Amino acid sequence: MKLPAVDAVVVGAGAGGGVVAEQLSLAGHNVVLLERGRLQTFAETGHDELRSQRVTVLGNAFGPDDEHYVRLVQVAPGQYRKVLPSEGVYNNVAACVGGGTMSYGAMAWRYMEKDFRMRSTYGAPNGSSMEDWPISYQDLEPFYTKAEWEIGVSGKAGANTFEPPRQKPYPMPPLPLGAEATLLYGAAGRLGWHPFPIPMAINSVAYGGRPACVACPHCVGFACEVNAKSSTAVTVIPRAIATQHCQLKTGATAKRIVMESGSKAAGVEYYQNGVLYEQPCRVVVVCCSATETPRLLFNSATALFPKGLGNHNDWVGRNLQGHGYAGAYGLLEHDVFDGLGPGARVACCDFNHGLPGGLKGGAMIANEFVRLPYLYSQGVIPPDVPRWGLEHKRHMRTYFKRTIAAQGPVQEMPVFENRVELAPEVTDSWGIPTIRIRGRRHPHDLEVARFLSAKCGEWLKEAGAQRTWPKLPGTGVSGGQHQAGTCRMGSDPKTSVVDRNCRIHAVDNVYIADGSVQVNNGGFNPSLTIQALAYWASAAILRQL
Amino acid sequence: MQIDRRTLLLALAAPLYAAAPLKTFSVTEAALVEALCERIIPADDVAGAKEAGVLYYLDAQLAGPLKRFAADYHGGLPALQNFCRQLTGADFLELPAEERTKCLMTLEKTAPPELRAFFRLVVEQTMQGFYGSPAHGGNRNDISWRMLGVEEVMGGHGH
Repeated sequence: MKLPAVDAVVVGAGAGGGVVAEQLSLAGHNVVLLERGRLQTFAETGHDELRSQRVTVLGNAFGPDDEHYVRLVQVAPGQYRKVLPSEGVYNNVAACVGGGTMSYGAMAWRYMEKDFRMRSTYGAPNGSSMEDWPISYQDLEPFYTKAEWEIGVSGKAGANTFEPPRQKPYPMPPLPLGAEATLLYGAAGRLGWHPFPIPMAINSVAYGGRPACVACPHCVGFACEVNAKSSTAVTVIPRAIATQHCQLKTGATAKRIVMESGSKAAGVEYYQNGVLYEQPCRVVVVCCSATETPRLLFNSATALFPKGLGNHNDWVGRNLQGHGYAGAYGLLEHDVFDGLGPGARVACCDFNHGLPGGLKGGAMIANEFVRLPYLYSQGVIPPDVPRWGLEHKRHMRTYFKRTIAAQGPVQEMPVFENRVELAPEVTDSWGIPTIRIRGRRHPHDLEVARFLSAKCGEWLKEAGAQRTWPKLPGTGVSGGQHQAGTCRMGSDPKTSVVDRNCRIHAVDNVYIADGSVQVNNGGFNPSLTIQALAYWASAAILRQL
Repeated sequence: MQIDRRTLLLALAAPLYAAAPLKTFSVTEAALVEALCERIIPADDVAGAKEAGVLYYLDAQLAGPLKRFAADYHGGLPALQNFCRQLTGADFLELPAEERTKCLMTLEKTAPPELRAFFRLVVEQTMQGFYGSPAHGGNRNDISWRMLGVEEVMGGHGH
């Protein structure tokens, strides 16, 4: 069914799509915002650890669901296995209004200046497609500021010695530290490092018509019961709808971008309640995440773009990155668990750049979000303690409240062969071809991980840990909730997918505003950068509309 | 209603699951699963998996979100019994608790890969039932949360 034309269709109501929908509709343009998931309330998911974003054993609380979606993941060269969204290797983000920001931990980082010019800073290691961004930190800075003020970020400007220049402070003071972070704050200072409170997209005071955080322990992985967490579902998307220029359509699964003959998009086809609609528009903005955005481009192939939209040079779906976490756990002789969320409150950026031994990049290291019982029982047990039996139970009883942890998201070296491809033989329940994922982490990532893990161990010992053990990432392809890189931004159409304004090369009116466009993924959680890029892209789209 | 002596004795001796209809397991399977879970999280001065109702977590969830694993249980439980019989000459349920634990430790080291994988699955899902929300059938009366001293933190915000 063909619908009346609008100015723009934004596909995906997550971190990026919410921002774009708001910016275009505030400027008076008529926008249709498509979201395959639902508009969720806190009451639907509550505080159920087994159905959270971190533990999906009883299903993905924030979508997509196991009944309608499937992917293939490589298990051996040339061999793939079907995986469901509730399995970790699916590399899920979310499918709901707000996307990943509905349930994220909400660290709100700016990347550093060097993160935008990794190649000129370090040179690419063998086997990496590392490149500089076509834009600089300075280009993006006003948009970081805009994101911090419009989404709502609490933090302390100037507290991070290594923070790049900013034009405005944070709109809110930082959240309180909590017991674990207080211990680690002091310890980092004694080690000569530079600790500071983590900037969070969580209200520390009432802001934007929403209340302050109530410090509940169910933070990362859950919807916020008081909407203190600044997801796009409670910030920019309601503002977009309030303009009366934005129609949010949920349960709306995009099938393909419809092209006119040539290089111009005519609209988007999507399924809603079993009906196929065509929504004509002047501009399409794809904001589906670094795994689903390539899928939509592949599925939008035409005679002019036989390998998928924007894929003349086989760069769509390449350079898939995420974050493997490197860190350490430690056991104290006294209780430190205070059950106060979010928990993750102190970080150091001493090891993001300038590591010894020619290591490239690094990561911020921080203490952890509140550890909940099931996840602890599986992931936070020292290597010499049995995985079951009386000893395991006694360890839980003795140390659950006496554990400290620090970790950081290792900045990954992009690898051209780490990729998302179309799997035409397998479809979702609407008959839309799904994707397959394959690759291996660059070995350099593991070197950096070992360095950071040792630093975290040192940090925990200084904080009083009697014994520590390392946490290291695996070697498989990295994507997951921090997925990025698959539609690289660049000046040369031969080696990138979008231009510096996030518009697909050789297509007049299709933009991408999600983690896909990132050249690399920084040593930080990427959501604020995705949002800054969405504001940046919105400015360019507004110039075109 | 007339109840004869035999019926009464059977009813008194029968475990809880004989009274409530099971969704996934047969009564025989349920007895084995319950005993297995209790070795994974045994009672000491705090209740173990049995009293926490982990069996009911598994039985309900294997008929729901975990249904793709139900076949693993139907196939894995007889394999575990066979392994136990070959190792000890007795049924798992005939062994005293310590011998059951020893049998499972041997299984972890020497059993065929599929049986070891099945046991890892049971361990993981037993932990879910014990440490997860009581809403799913396990962790009765917040047993594990009380043990960890987090019942107020975990239960205080609705679960």
